[in-house]
Amino acid sequence: MCGAIRDELRDGLLEAERAYRAAGLSGERAAAAAVADFGEPGTVAAAFAPELAARDARRVALALLRTGPLIGLMWGLAALASGMAVGHAPPWRWPVPGIHLAFPLIAAAIATSGIAGALTIAATGRLGARRHLTRRPARLASTAATTIAASALTCDLALLALLITSAATASGSRAWLPATVAATASLTRLALAARAGRRLVATRARLR
Amino acid sequence: MTTYMQADTLKGHLDALLLATLESGPRHGYAIIDALKSASDGQIDLPSGTIYPALHRLERAGLIASSWSTSSGRRRRTYELTAAGRRALGAERAAWREFSDTVTALLEPRPWPATA
Repeated sequence: MCGAIRDELRDGLLEAERAYRAAGLSGERAAAAAVADFGEPGTVAAAFAPELAARDARRVALALLRTGPLIGLMWGLAALASGMAVGHAPPWRWPVPGIHLAFPLIAAAIATSGIAGALTIAATGRLGARRHLTRRPARLASTAATTIAASALTCDLALLALLITSAATASGSRAWLPATVAATASLTRLALAARAGRRLVATRARLR
Repeated sequence: MTTYMQADTLKGHLDALLLATLESGPRHGYAIIDALKSASDGQIDLPSGTIYPALHRLERAGLIASSWSTSSGRRRRTYELTAAGRRALGAERAAWREFSDTVTALLEPRPWPATA
């Protein structure tokens, strides 16, 4: 739960306690009454769950969608700096079976991310918030954001596989600095996407 | 006998009730909860902790807006209706009146058409 929500709930509880004191209750009884009015922790947590899930899904989706072009640019620069486009055999001619599939896999992951991103933004925006059955948009957003995390994992793993294959099989020199920067960025995003994906799956499971 | 309205009874109407409490001006979270309780003579007595997520959702929907201030050394979030919220409240109110009039008319004792 973020600090702003904690501050707001704290203010509400203290206001309720103040109102009970003003009505004549002692400090301890006023505090107990305010806490009782607030509701059972499980009830309050369940009420907050869709809203928090929607926020988390939107945050994860936007972060991954924003880093996508940046990481793509890093890999593109690394490929250009290595002269891959002109000086080396293209990846589909590398002597590793199936490595050429990395490119359609990356394209499919990018397209999937785009669709899932649009769904996440719609479900967590004004449209999703106006629905009375609030758990459905939150579940949809969690699923769509998890799909984006899986697509990011796919892209990063495919790019890293291409780099490793290129280093092991293709001839010629490598521009190791830009390749290392791109690989580090992909590894970092891979770790963050995996963690966010696990969290989103757990959150979705709690949205009954 | 007093019947307290539970969350299930209010499902689908809570948004409109929250918007209505803000029609006369901005209020902070507890003031909204207190207004609901007082104006309904205590019949609407939901766990106050469950009102906040509904307010956050209404803000995300663009129907209310919030601002932070400091009161008695505490951070306080105050909500107010947006123009879209005012329109939504008007629409909800009209829909409720129509629904309520229809159900009330049907529930009154009356001679019903005979079955064939």
